[in-house]
Amino acid sequence: MLDSLRSRLLLSYALILALVIVTFAGTVCYLYWRSLLKDIDRDLQADARAISSVLRAVPSGDFDLELSAQYRESEFVNRSPHTYYAVWNSRGELVDRSDPDAVLPSSRQTGTRIRDGQRETIIDASSGSLILVGRDLSEAHREVRSLATTVGASGGAVLLLSLLGGWFLAGRALAPVARISRAASAMAGGDLSTRIAVERTESELEQVARALNEAFDRLSHAADLQRRFTADASHELRTPLATLRVQLDWALSRPRTPADYTETLETCRRASDRMTHIVDELLTLARGDGERQAWREEVALASVVRDAIGLLQPMAAERRVAVEAACEPAYVMGDPARLGDAVGNLLKNAIEYNREGGRVAVKVWSDGSTAYVRVQDTGIGIAADELPKVFDRFYRADKARTRKVGGAGLGLAIAKRVVEDHGGSITCRSQVECGTEVIVSLPATLDAQTAATIH
Amino acid sequence: MRLLVVEDEADLARTLKKALEEEAFAVDLAADGEEGLFRVVGTAYDAAIVDVMLPRRDGWSLIEAARESGVRTPVLVLTARDTVEDRVRGLNLGADDYLTKPFALAELVARVQAIIRRSYGSPSPRVTAGDVHIDTAAKRVYRDGALIDVTSREYAVLELLVRSRGKLVTRARICEHIYNEDTDVLSNVIDVHVASLRRKLGPDVIHTRRGEGYIIDA
Repeated sequence: MLDSLRSRLLLSYALILALVIVTFAGTVCYLYWRSLLKDIDRDLQADARAISSVLRAVPSGDFDLELSAQYRESEFVNRSPHTYYAVWNSRGELVDRSDPDAVLPSSRQTGTRIRDGQRETIIDASSGSLILVGRDLSEAHREVRSLATTVGASGGAVLLLSLLGGWFLAGRALAPVARISRAASAMAGGDLSTRIAVERTESELEQVARALNEAFDRLSHAADLQRRFTADASHELRTPLATLRVQLDWALSRPRTPADYTETLETCRRASDRMTHIVDELLTLARGDGERQAWREEVALASVVRDAIGLLQPMAAERRVAVEAACEPAYVMGDPARLGDAVGNLLKNAIEYNREGGRVAVKVWSDGSTAYVRVQDTGIGIAADELPKVFDRFYRADKARTRKVGGAGLGLAIAKRVVEDHGGSITCRSQVECGTEVIVSLPATLDAQTAATIH
Repeated sequence: MRLLVVEDEADLARTLKKALEEEAFAVDLAADGEEGLFRVVGTAYDAAIVDVMLPRRDGWSLIEAARESGVRTPVLVLTARDTVEDRVRGLNLGADDYLTKPFALAELVARVQAIIRRSYGSPSPRVTAGDVHIDTAAKRVYRDGALIDVTSREYAVLELLVRSRGKLVTRARICEHIYNEDTDVLSNVIDVHVASLRRKLGPDVIHTRRGEGYIIDA
């Protein structure tokens, strides 16, 4: 509790405030004491002068004091606070005193001083005589003490109120810290959906909260990708594993002919090929997940497209699908191999889901700032409600799905990932039974413009 | 016992057919959901094995549509998903059992036999009619405690008759039950199997209703 930021803030605050209050109270009391002493001194001076005025020199060099007993009684003996006087002649003999019991100072230097809780003033009167007037200070002490008590009490009250207010204010200011720490604990505990409630104020802590929320978003996104990857992988690998298991169980259940064993081994090899392929594609996808590189190499899209078409020509021929390319110069910064993968996957789909004797038209062009690759096919098309899902992993439009090696449903997901890693976007339009059109847009390099003017 | 296997992975489907035929099942294959639904509605299968992820119509929708058309064939679902929600969903839609890929062949066979037994109303693998006992798990036939040697076709005919004891079973039903669609069956082949069974079990077990079919008394 004492280690908390709130307590420590409050403690420093309290110390400073207490120092201020004590200094203030001390100054007030001191000044009051000073003013009290000044008043007393003025009274004592007045009394001394009054005594001096009634002091009469006699020829013998002595004095005669004409103080009525009444005056003495009322002005000294019975006065409160207790006041007294004493008069000495030039020879230092005591001439008169108000109080026979009073203890007189040993030193008779003129001036003002405090002796045994009494204020005394000694002045030089006529003819070398000395007059002492003193007054008891206990009442002045009492008054100062009472002032100190009052000031102290109100100072304490102010301190207490300020501390309460300070505790409240510190709590309010630090409330976001509690929120942030609660959210962070929940996050650490595995609840990745937690976010810190951010208020609209622009305080430093709200900025921290916002920054943390962004970090949480990225963290939970990364965790989602990871979870999806494992789920996808295990899900997709289960079918070839089932094939393996059932085929092996069958072959081992009793003695088989060599032809049966050969068939079993061939089936197992196909299952293994399929699993290898799925793992490769998943790893390709995982490698690209969430990273964006700074591309250094300038790539001519036309040559990427021509290479991809060259690789897929045998597949197109087998399906009797004609692939046509119309390439204008277009250049982007990127990785030619990955871009080739992406275009290849688009072409593969266009060929695979085409009708026999169909057509795939590829066009490459640039409008200066953006380079485009368009792949159109005359295939079976994709229904409107399935269109948004075609770039999802492992998604196959139901009507077109075939389970061949290569049909794991990752092709378009990989293409999308590659294009997005290159800062581009991919869109798809389709009409059922008519065909599908996929357009890739990538940021073009400046050279595309100059190249366009040259050609 | 006639089975339908709806599975789009060709290798897996072929292997399942081969393996199940060795267990004396007559097996038909369907490669997508629509074909599977068409078959299961049109033929009285003893059980269907249905993959969930199918082209054209997924396994869940197949089961739902089949149950809506009044198909009572027990269904075993094969799937790559193994979450509880998936299992519950399948069972709620009318599936009878559930197997997660990959699975052992022996377990698949045992589960298929179990759902068939349950659909005939007897949870025990042993069925009895009079003094004829059949161990459906071991596919053995006993009369008065003595093991009778029968062929797998004869066994299939006898098992159907014993399971349907007390009810008339037509030749067409027997045919549909023991042969898959790829087999061309001569019209008297059932009579040949029955005659052979009579020789082995004695003449008083299987009765002929002329022009209609066969019956074993309950």
